[in-house]
Amino acid sequence: MLASILASGLAAGAIYALVGVTYNTMFSTSRVMSFTAGQLAMLGGVFGSMFTLKLGLPIIVGFVLTLVCCAIIGIITEFVAVRPVLKSLDQHLYVLSTLAVALMIQQVAAIKWGTEPQPFPRLVGFGEAILDEKFWLPVAACAVTILCLEYLYRRTLVGRAFLAIAEDNFAARALGLPERNLRVASYALAGVIGGVAGYSGGQLLLAFFANGGLLNFYGFVPVALGGLGNNRGAIVGGLALGLFQQAANFLVGGIFSSVAVFTLFIVVLLAAPQGLFGAATARRV
Amino acid sequence: MPTSAAESLLSVSALQSGYGKIRVLHGIDVRIAAGEVVALLGPNGAGKTTLLRALSGLLPVTSGQVHFDGSDMTNATPRDAARAGLVHVIEGHRVFTQISVTDNLLLAGYDLPRAERATRVEEALSFFPEIAEKRHERGGALSGGQQQMLTVAQGLVRRPRLLMLDEPSAGLSPVLVDRVLNVIGQLRRQGTAVLLVEQLLEKALACADRVYALVQGNIVLEAPTSESDLPHRLERAYFGHESHALSG
Amino acid sequence: MTALTTTPAQDETSGWRTALPHVVPFLGILVLALLLPFVSNDYWVLIGTRAAIYWVLISGLNLVVGFAGHLAIGYVALLTLGAYTTSVLVAGNVIPAVPVFAALPIAGLVGAVFGVIVGLPALRLRTFYFAMSTLGFATIVTQIALAWQSVTGGGIGITGPEFPAPFNTAWGFYGLCIAFAAVTTWMSANVARSRFGRALIAVRDAEVAAEATGISKPKMLIAIFLFAGALAAIAGGLFATLQTYITPDAFTFDLSVLFFIAILIGGRGSILGPLLGTIILTILPEIAAPLAAWSTFLYAVLLLVIVLVMPGGIAALLDFRNRRPLASNRSIVPRPAALAEIVRQRKGGKLLKLRGIELAFGNVKAIDGLDLDVTPAQIHGLIGPNGSGKTTTLNVISGYYAAKAGNMTLGDEALPPGQPTLRAPCGIARTFQTPRVIGEASVLQNVMIGGSIEGRATFVEAMLALPRNGEDERKLAAKARALLGVVGLETLADVRADRLQHSELRFIEIARALMLDPDFLLLDEPAAGLSNDEIERLAALIKAICARGTGVLLVEHHADLIFDICHQVTVLNLGRTLAAGTPAEIRVHKEVVSAYLGG
Repeated sequence: MLASILASGLAAGAIYALVGVTYNTMFSTSRVMSFTAGQLAMLGGVFGSMFTLKLGLPIIVGFVLTLVCCAIIGIITEFVAVRPVLKSLDQHLYVLSTLAVALMIQQVAAIKWGTEPQPFPRLVGFGEAILDEKFWLPVAACAVTILCLEYLYRRTLVGRAFLAIAEDNFAARALGLPERNLRVASYALAGVIGGVAGYSGGQLLLAFFANGGLLNFYGFVPVALGGLGNNRGAIVGGLALGLFQQAANFLVGGIFSSVAVFTLFIVVLLAAPQGLFGAATARRV
Repeated sequence: MPTSAAESLLSVSALQSGYGKIRVLHGIDVRIAAGEVVALLGPNGAGKTTLLRALSGLLPVTSGQVHFDGSDMTNATPRDAARAGLVHVIEGHRVFTQISVTDNLLLAGYDLPRAERATRVEEALSFFPEIAEKRHERGGALSGGQQQMLTVAQGLVRRPRLLMLDEPSAGLSPVLVDRVLNVIGQLRRQGTAVLLVEQLLEKALACADRVYALVQGNIVLEAPTSESDLPHRLERAYFGHESHALSG
Repeated sequence: MTALTTTPAQDETSGWRTALPHVVPFLGILVLALLLPFVSNDYWVLIGTRAAIYWVLISGLNLVVGFAGHLAIGYVALLTLGAYTTSVLVAGNVIPAVPVFAALPIAGLVGAVFGVIVGLPALRLRTFYFAMSTLGFATIVTQIALAWQSVTGGGIGITGPEFPAPFNTAWGFYGLCIAFAAVTTWMSANVARSRFGRALIAVRDAEVAAEATGISKPKMLIAIFLFAGALAAIAGGLFATLQTYITPDAFTFDLSVLFFIAILIGGRGSILGPLLGTIILTILPEIAAPLAAWSTFLYAVLLLVIVLVMPGGIAALLDFRNRRPLASNRSIVPRPAALAEIVRQRKGGKLLKLRGIELAFGNVKAIDGLDLDVTPAQIHGLIGPNGSGKTTTLNVISGYYAAKAGNMTLGDEALPPGQPTLRAPCGIARTFQTPRVIGEASVLQNVMIGGSIEGRATFVEAMLALPRNGEDERKLAAKARALLGVVGLETLADVRADRLQHSELRFIEIARALMLDPDFLLLDEPAAGLSNDEIERLAALIKAICARGTGVLLVEHHADLIFDICHQVTVLNLGRTLAAGTPAEIRVHKEVVSAYLGG
């Protein structure tokens, strides 16, 4: 049983962690928490299943197309729901505008794709039982994403520009950084990360329109645990959440696992609104 | 130093700006010639920082004109301003603490070709040997004075025609103040114009050619620093007795 | 609907006249609702019943979302909770069966309790976090309804409660739901128009200022979460009856979206707008059948349009009064002499004393051992360069910051550090560097906020429009109008505050502070952004306030104003007193002059 908890917990946790990173990526350049994070991951599954299973495209082509589509959705979000409300960030209108876009995405997916969960193709065909690819694939995807992000942030000037904007948007603008273009880029990047989360978790979660809302919540919990904008916190928080949820699932049953997750979330929010690792991201602006 | 419209690098006329409904600047006229060092003085809340921000595009200009180097820069973006050589070093030594000193400088040259960028960074560092030594450390590891030097160096990466410095001496020890203000002398010798907002009157007068005094959003005084009773005239301007004496 | 006439007025007839435009639309909708059964068929009665039930929930939720500004997007969870509680109690599959008219109030109680539990995070967090916690709650309630088969019947479901005659027909039940809706409209309108409604908006749009007037946010929020939770659960009981048979599928998240968006389309801080929003959103998918599948998409588009294009919603469209242009050449002409009629004359009074105050932000010492005495009936100027700690000092006195060391006393009593809501009861009022007024409320309401702690009626009294609440309202409104006269803004009393000029907002803040009839008034750069004429009038006003015995602490950059009206001046530099004395002494003080010029 321990092995199953570990396998399914880490798999689910990796997906939650990636959705958390999606939230953070959008937040870092815009100070906006977007309800589209979970929807992007849902679309990763739906597009993946559509391109590879329904349209029968080769896996690699389907994967790339999925990511491209998710990136486009990310960019659309920036243009439609984020840019117009940035001027009055203190009114928090982004909560409403991104919710509206998220609902549109979900509704279109429900109508055009169907309201039943649909299968996702096997991608690699390696591993079985608890080492089945549906368990290790999300974990691997999460690891690769972290490596890529680390490379981006540590080795490239664009990545450092992201860090600069995240730390002090005003100073970055004063310096003449193309803040708007970088923000669009970060939303595209968030789309890609969300797409990776959904695609790698497709076999576990299936291609199902309602995953969006679920992942919105379960992906936000690690962000709340780890502190806004803190990717390391989100990864640790996501994996911990996945293990906690699956352990509760196996030990006390389905209903109480979700009650446990919700209680954990509320308690953390009340006790440490900045997140458990949040102190490191304290900003002066 | 006489300045006419023809030779001014920056010419600002009837500029109004502010924050939302609050209008801070009520019609500012300022001219700066190429290579000239001008100090912008004034009591707190007079609108000095606001003026700099309006010039560099960080705040919207509600009316009036900004001409820089022959082209209209009214409401240009900070990026356009920086590209044109109108560079603003904001107050409060706000460097990026998470990335290295070199990266801080590289970001200042974000639009430049890669090779050019590296050259410019070295050039900017040559002004400040003390931070050149720490080029691999994180911005957050520098002292306040070193961070201030780093922000000035960031401005220099652009090879500005006009460098606007907002209180570069704030919170620095006297030695460091001289260190930072010395750079202004070097820049003048290179032909770079400087607009300096400075709290330390003596220091400002020592390194500037000309001063503007801003009180409650209006320019109340403009004079060359060579004028003998300038401190007294400034004092009177600040305390509200020379609000109509807009003489040269 | 007499309670809707609690509008301030000198006499009853004019009270009716001003209230009439507010009441007529509601009466009109009620008449239309009552006519519906006679002009249409059962199908439309069903739609009408549904709209009425939704409105029972939304009228409560409106106080949470529209007034308090908390983005509760998962209220379908409380509807579900109420529906199952009522159904289970009436069905008697857990405890002996309970009659439906007893089950409904019990469900209301349960809903109120859970309303508070779900709302608790709102005490510390706003916006996205709170939205997420309600969303999470909605997710788990559905999961529990599915999984707890012994009680809820799981996926198979459970029969909804049935009402006794005459409410067991479509028309009878419709009448019952309309009655519920009318009562909840009345109650929520009463709350909205009372000082509690104003306080909710104040906490939403100007939380810091609300604290300074003594409004306690937790109490307010818990009251409305109880109210909204109870209404949502009662709506759930009615909803279960309407459905006759409920399964978890009946409570989709789309319903939550409808509730939430109906309020935002209607407009924040309005009752009529969300009511119309509810009716429109309920009917929309019905009159355009092909749209039914796309209804949530349609709602989402509407939401986006509202946010991006029409932030005021329907309420702003209907707000004809505030579309009339204001005179552009208006000027503020205070009448300080009128103060005598409103503010009592003080003699002597206590001293506000600060001793050895220290405060640091990180490594930066903002205040470093400050002593300060503010004397009644004197104007004390506080000046100094930027970052010298002037505003920080005000914030320590107001309790926004707790000093690291030192103490503050008012007379013989210590002022508790770090508790802003306790300042108003001590008679300390203030204004802010950037005016913190509620843009969406009228000027008069903004000023009335200042007297919130003087109200005596409780939340329940306000909700039921009992006499004490009416008395409070009349007193507060009369005082606020008089003070608007003092600061010279009485002609703008009914205008939305966000239409005013910056200088006018500064005077509104002063009027709001005077509502407390304060012993001490802290003014943070009141002259910033004012014209020279306005500064002169401000000076006269401050002098008049001081002449009534109020001690004034004035932070200001305008040196001439300080030297003109202050009795005492303290100059701060780097968080320490650089000099203190009379204006004449300070003016020639060498160090002060050089600090100002930068020496």
